[in-house]
Amino acid sequence: MSEISLTSRAVGDRPSVSLLRRLSALQPVRFLVIGLSLAILFALIAYPLILLTGYSLVDAQGHLTFETFEKAFARRGMWQATVNSAWLVALVTIGACALGIPLAWIVARTDAPGKALVTLAAGVSFVIPTFISVISWIFLAAPNSGYLNKLAIDYLGFETAPFNIMSFGGLVFIEIVGVYPLVFFAVNAALNNVDASHEQAARILGSNRLRTTLTITLPLVRPAILSAVILVMLDALSSFGAPSAIGTMANFSVITTKIYDLLKFPPQFNYAAAVAMPIMVFTAISLLIQKYAIRAENFRTLTGKATPEQILTLGRWRWVAGGFCLIVALVTAILPVGALLLLSVLSSFGADIRLDNLVGKHYALIFDENFAARASILHSLLLALATATVCATLGLVLGWVVERFRFFGRELIGFLVMIAYGFPSIAYAVGILMGYVELFYGTLTLILIAYAGKLLPIAFVLVRNGIQQLSTDLEEAARISGAGWLRSIKDVTFPLVRGAVGIAWVLVFSLSLRELSMSAILAQSDTQVMPTVVLQFIEDGAVELAAALAVVIVVVSLSMLGLIRLFTAKKTTAVA
Amino acid sequence: MPALAAAVDWTAPTSASAADAGRARLELRGLRKTLGDTAAVNGIDLRIASGESVVLLGPSGCGKTTTLRMVAGFIQPDGGEIHLDGVLASNASFALPPEKRRLGMVFQTYAVWPHKTVTDNVAYGLEVAGRSRAEIKAETGAVLDLVQLGGLANRFPAELSGGQQQRVALARALATKPSLLLLDEPLSNLDATLREEMRFELRGLQKNLGITTLYVTHDQDEALVLADRIVVMNKGRIEQIGTPEEVYHRPASRFVGGFIGIANMLEGEVAAVDRVGGRVLVALDAGDRLWSRAPERWLADATPGSRATVLLRPQDIKLERPEQPDQEAGTEATFVSETFLGNHYELKLQAGGTLLRVQSRVRGTFEDGRTRLWARAGSAWVVA
Repeated sequence: MSEISLTSRAVGDRPSVSLLRRLSALQPVRFLVIGLSLAILFALIAYPLILLTGYSLVDAQGHLTFETFEKAFARRGMWQATVNSAWLVALVTIGACALGIPLAWIVARTDAPGKALVTLAAGVSFVIPTFISVISWIFLAAPNSGYLNKLAIDYLGFETAPFNIMSFGGLVFIEIVGVYPLVFFAVNAALNNVDASHEQAARILGSNRLRTTLTITLPLVRPAILSAVILVMLDALSSFGAPSAIGTMANFSVITTKIYDLLKFPPQFNYAAAVAMPIMVFTAISLLIQKYAIRAENFRTLTGKATPEQILTLGRWRWVAGGFCLIVALVTAILPVGALLLLSVLSSFGADIRLDNLVGKHYALIFDENFAARASILHSLLLALATATVCATLGLVLGWVVERFRFFGRELIGFLVMIAYGFPSIAYAVGILMGYVELFYGTLTLILIAYAGKLLPIAFVLVRNGIQQLSTDLEEAARISGAGWLRSIKDVTFPLVRGAVGIAWVLVFSLSLRELSMSAILAQSDTQVMPTVVLQFIEDGAVELAAALAVVIVVVSLSMLGLIRLFTAKKTTAVA
Repeated sequence: MPALAAAVDWTAPTSASAADAGRARLELRGLRKTLGDTAAVNGIDLRIASGESVVLLGPSGCGKTTTLRMVAGFIQPDGGEIHLDGVLASNASFALPPEKRRLGMVFQTYAVWPHKTVTDNVAYGLEVAGRSRAEIKAETGAVLDLVQLGGLANRFPAELSGGQQQRVALARALATKPSLLLLDEPLSNLDATLREEMRFELRGLQKNLGITTLYVTHDQDEALVLADRIVVMNKGRIEQIGTPEEVYHRPASRFVGGFIGIANMLEGEVAAVDRVGGRVLVALDAGDRLWSRAPERWLADATPGSRATVLLRPQDIKLERPEQPDQEAGTEATFVSETFLGNHYELKLQAGGTLLRVQSRVRGTFEDGRTRLWARAGSAWVVA
């Protein structure tokens, strides 16, 4: 609570205070740091969003109008795309809850076998973006050539192919598999934190297990469920990878793919901005609900620890639950990952799975100097390095400013950063394009700006939490010992939040590698990145190449995430 | 504490010339601070002389910690001034940064840096001051010995107990030989036995080193042990400044009387005023008339017929008539409860409408549950 006010009050000067002493108390570096971080934040987040809103509300002559909306939504197929998006959101949300909540309960509260497998599978399917799992599912369940379909017709006696991933239903399925881990992890964590005594108190008073679950446990984890539902809805609404890949083949659109189409040559910024507006409004409303409805319930902070007494013995049902777990793990993780690996070394899609059909030529082609994919790998790695570094640095400075300074506008920083977080990538990219296209057209810098702005919230939240956990006393003790504030940061704050900053760096790096929606809009022919090339491969029908490049993405991301262990296993970071 | 600090040279850097003798190490003038819309500190004046140990005592929210943090430089006052060694350190428009105040501080949470060893924690202030490596090593070692942590120099804080961490925090604060040592409820996180032990140890250290100390606590026992002078605070204001004996036996207000020690308050009406003897005769509502000493300021306005509240400590109420009582017939009281506490009996008695707490070595004799109470001669004190 270092609270020397920044605006020195205009009280009459005391002659007893020399000018020199006064200046020494001013700390100009502080002003500079705050000013600079605010400026960067405005440039990264506020400016593009203001532009976006502005463009959707003015016409070509610069007059304020709602006509842009009318015209944009009167375009052919736009209304259908909006309806499709709404259905996608609704179905994916229901599906993710139907899958995630029971799974979380089984894992947290029963003795079903295969619980560890489910957690692992959820982790895997969380790490793999949908534009990559699309490749796997094309391999497995394409209407004619999908290997599962072949299997069903050849050996199980089906007349026609039972699966068709290239359909709206297929898209819903892929999206559910991609987002259910959000629900699963949130609810699982909440269930683990419900202290046994809450439930035991109800049991002692005569409530049976079911009643206790419904009246005590469920209300306690409700905030976690609601938060997860909102995240899932936003994710489904702004998803671009899978809808784009499947939509092209199955010939349907959703809002995000429509925005992408509007930005193809000749780009129609006004319409793109107008079409992005419903997503923005929906996002804003969801975040408000999150803030007020869910936070209001957060009196029930769950800080307990689950104990063996809460584990339900299922008896015969144990194997049913175990079978469910196994199927989920198989369908959401084992099959897709296996399919992806297999496809990446298969001579061609459709070939029989035999040892002499396994080749390394797709990887060779990806790393070939004369092929576009190689440049995209370099671009992606370069961008990931730069984005991670920018975000970790900014996150540290901003987190520290927000937690440790009291000044007007302090709340604004947190607010702006969280807007960027909830903001759909595709709309944000449109804003970035409008704001910076003239300065950075066709450069990696343009993509870096978008990545940094969109991923900054993750770094900010992580580092801010790290700083929050540090008692201000630790810094104040350094000040009292004679260290200036800059030195107190260097000697005390930074060493203690280094772990959080490291984790933020790694996470942002991994997420940058797999970012597709913004890249698709911003990348030009000279600035392709891995995800855009993967998407291109899919749309061109070169799924083997797509698979090989996707494997590269997944391997690099996973090995980077493994680095997190380095930052978390330190005894001195345990701060009360 | 064995062989305490005798070997350590403890000349605070600024105590040099004799001309400084009259200058206060710390002076607060009309200090004010508003937090939110409450006046957390509302006009505090205080002078602390060199070598003195002053304790700010009060309930939570009385402004004592805010005052301490203003002295440290973490909070800027809204009004008034803070002078350190006669030099302005804070007012509403100027604040010397904390690192330039040459203070030592022990935090309630200890704030021992978890990523530094015990030695590195203690040496930090000396490093920042740019001292030579040899000096740092010698002085760190001396201070660690002083707080009896010599054997744990290379441990990390996570490997220490709460009490040991507390000693590290103390050593770190002392290492730079600050001109003023600030302590913010340093013992409140320790368990009861250790807390009691540390009180006496801290007091011994303070006296031996002669270090000027400003100590914040809400624990009256701690204050009584540690203070040369106690500053009792309430609602952002100072209620009384005085030695432990003064604030205990002659509290300036009802609040002080009630906050320090257990207080029995007996209401009554002034029957006679003896300004020469500094006392008044109070006709108690509970019965009987009692000669009671009173603060001069109150005495000046006292007239027969005005109301008065008499304070009696539990150990000053007797169940037997003293040789020269300040009373006439004793106050009649009825028995409520009795508890045996080893070295005395804790009695609850009802006198008039007031419940009294009495500590007595004897059980007393009751007839039909009734007895007569007597104030120990010279112990009654008017608080308002």
